[in-house]
Amino acid sequence: MRASARLTRWTGAFLAMLLMLAVGSPPTDAQTDQTLEVGLSLPDIGRLDPHRSSLTQDVAIVDAIFNGLVQFPVGTIDLNRIEPGLAERWEVSKDGKAWTFYLRKGVQFHHNYGELTSDDVVFSLEKAADPKRSAFSPNYRNLDRVEAVDRHTVRIHLKNPASQPDVLAMLVNYHGGHIVSKKAVSELGDKFLLNPVGTGPFAFKEYAPQRYVMLERHNRHFRGRPKIARIVYRYMPDLKSRQLAFERGELHVIEGLREQWWVDELKRKGDVVIDVVGPGEMRTLHFNMTRKPLDDLRVRQAIAYGISRREIIEFVGPAIAYPAYAPVPPGYLGSIHDASDTPRFSYDPSRAKRLLAEAGYPNGVDLGVVLITSVDPLRRPMEMITEQLRRIGITYTLQVLDHTSWHARIRLNASALVLFGAARFPTGDQYLSQFYHSRSIVGSPTAVTNFSHYGSVIPGVDHFIDAAKDEPDTQKQLKAWGQAQQKILVDLPAIPLYVLRLVLVRKPNVDLGYKPEATVALFYQFREFTAIK
Amino acid sequence: MKRYILYRLLLVIPSLWAVFTFAFVLVRIVPGDPALAMLGDHASQEAVQELRIRMGLDRPLWQQYGAFLAELARGDLGRSLVTKRPIITDVAQVLPYTVELTFTGILLGVVLGVPLGVLSAVKRNSAFDHMARIVSLAGLSVPAFYLAILLLLVFSVSLGWFPVIGPVSDTGLKVRLHNLVLPGLSLGLMMTAYVMRMTRSTVLQVLTHDYVRSARAKGLAEMRVLRRHVLTNSLIPIVTLVGLHANYLVGGSVMTEIVFNRPGLGKLIVGAMFQRDYAVLQSLLVVYAVVVVFINLLTDLSYGIVDPRVRYE
Repeated sequence: MRASARLTRWTGAFLAMLLMLAVGSPPTDAQTDQTLEVGLSLPDIGRLDPHRSSLTQDVAIVDAIFNGLVQFPVGTIDLNRIEPGLAERWEVSKDGKAWTFYLRKGVQFHHNYGELTSDDVVFSLEKAADPKRSAFSPNYRNLDRVEAVDRHTVRIHLKNPASQPDVLAMLVNYHGGHIVSKKAVSELGDKFLLNPVGTGPFAFKEYAPQRYVMLERHNRHFRGRPKIARIVYRYMPDLKSRQLAFERGELHVIEGLREQWWVDELKRKGDVVIDVVGPGEMRTLHFNMTRKPLDDLRVRQAIAYGISRREIIEFVGPAIAYPAYAPVPPGYLGSIHDASDTPRFSYDPSRAKRLLAEAGYPNGVDLGVVLITSVDPLRRPMEMITEQLRRIGITYTLQVLDHTSWHARIRLNASALVLFGAARFPTGDQYLSQFYHSRSIVGSPTAVTNFSHYGSVIPGVDHFIDAAKDEPDTQKQLKAWGQAQQKILVDLPAIPLYVLRLVLVRKPNVDLGYKPEATVALFYQFREFTAIK
Repeated sequence: MKRYILYRLLLVIPSLWAVFTFAFVLVRIVPGDPALAMLGDHASQEAVQELRIRMGLDRPLWQQYGAFLAELARGDLGRSLVTKRPIITDVAQVLPYTVELTFTGILLGVVLGVPLGVLSAVKRNSAFDHMARIVSLAGLSVPAFYLAILLLLVFSVSLGWFPVIGPVSDTGLKVRLHNLVLPGLSLGLMMTAYVMRMTRSTVLQVLTHDYVRSARAKGLAEMRVLRRHVLTNSLIPIVTLVGLHANYLVGGSVMTEIVFNRPGLGKLIVGAMFQRDYAVLQSLLVVYAVVVVFINLLTDLSYGIVDPRVRYE
């Protein structure tokens, strides 16, 4: 008895010691003034060189560090409202091939890398256009050369005249349009990947693997000293711990889950501002037309009529998702989403069954194997689609893969159907070129994401897309994009389903300084006027 | 003993070569391309191929294998394909977190599990014994991440005793210990369940031996009987179990690391897997193999401490 009592006392003493460690909780950083604590969903960083940052949440950090010659007004991605950025103004030559940009004077790079000059702009654009140094070089195919006219004047020479949206798209504060310090890149080499130097309101300070990236305010920012002293982007892939940290006040801002039930749960707890913003990721179901019976238009139409967008959106959340009808997402320049003559393929299971019967499948048909990623925002809707199609007699084996493997396998033609979600630069060109041009067919040397083999199995819309590319007349460009989309909806290599918007969450005391409608950074954009009240 | 240690260390070399070769082949069998993962889903095949060439992934496999083997022989773990940082730098930054979490989990498991197991065996079929066995079964059954979230809900959110993520700067000892309590408890409670059950089972067996009856008959205090005769003869299976679980915890505590937002070797491996960062994956698997060999060696050597009859030849 005495032995057991002694053992019990020792064990209890050990536990008491643990509890004592709970006394005097060290201060959390969210309690420190003017440090904005942000919770990201990725487990770690990718790269912070803006010309190589393709991961969504590297883009979010890069947005605070760099500027472009021009920019979207913060909180929007409206191509018709592009405004001056590092350039104060610009002029276009009569032939439309020479664009002259007049830089602001006195703009300072971070970490004492000096004043922004035309040399930095020339270097940055040449880097953005170089496939060896940039992931976005295809966007600069029309760039002939960049000339430093004088210290603060840059002239961009195009191979062919282009419309203003197309030219400014190359130079806006997104992807290849970010201006880097020539001196810093030359000095740092590969280290620049994780030691970026820009002109934005916040400068890179430090990175701790798997934990955080810290930015500090750029005191000599050309638009004024930022109100926030530091931003700490925490890598927190677990949603629940991210949410708990937010509820406890340790985080000011988090990326949310794009599902209605989560938004409702957070609203019920209060002390939160939830922003549902664009751009949305449009979900499109692509049909692999190299596989029977998907080479039959009636089968593809049957699938289109057999899917209920309403059911999917009800599940995801009508506040977060809305139906899409056009191959180019709603809100993009050139989209025919709102046109009255855009076919909608509204849910009609009876019609779907009739079409299947006409195609020779009165008792239904099996499509074989369909691959889907394990990532919930795609997997769950695909499971719903599987059930909806089963109701009209279309079946398949749904295999779930990890995200990276899924991306690899769908590019190897391994799936009969591909449910793909994408947000691209908001013009018709990228979406049409990447998903519907024959050059982009998966498996080819120039492949991107044309999973349907449109343009090879059946004649496609290459001529419309090529005509629109580099068309200097915006109206003609819009017309060509419109014609491409109408034909796509007739041929139906894919069916657009819905758009899923971003869910961003912040504490009420975080004053962004603007109203967020859409964000090119795919996250909140923090500027010099952003403050913690 | 020294010859035995030297012999075991020499055996490490072929073991590491086997692990490296296995890792090299394994990461390349899994579908996925590091170049595509880095460039994003909008990248053209041309851009992906261009990057593969620059990363050296277009070279014949035997050349890639030879190059990496040569780097390893120089003690160089290479550079991440994604960040270009030396892998040794990232490992050096996260390994202390893994070591302290593993050590805490084991320490807690042993300090709680052994006394509870002994008590449970001594008080066999009592209310305490039944309760302890039920609780330990729950500990074995509850997934690690679920237990971690429960601890956060109770101790961080409801009671407010611990932060969910803690401050950015964690170089101070008190801050490090503070941040270690909940994740350590999460792993430690699982270890406690394993250790408690093994201890109970072994002690029950030893209690039936004649020398224990003789010791009691001689009039020795019960604590002395338990400590000198029962526990001493029960430790070998417990040490084996602790060694096995230490190996698991080094790389397998990734869910705990994710929930508590702690860096660690497991998270580094998982992150490299998602990005198909071949260089990091290969190197980390080799590092992990070294750690496992070291832990196994320590476990074997501890047998001699626990049981003086063990000889090393």
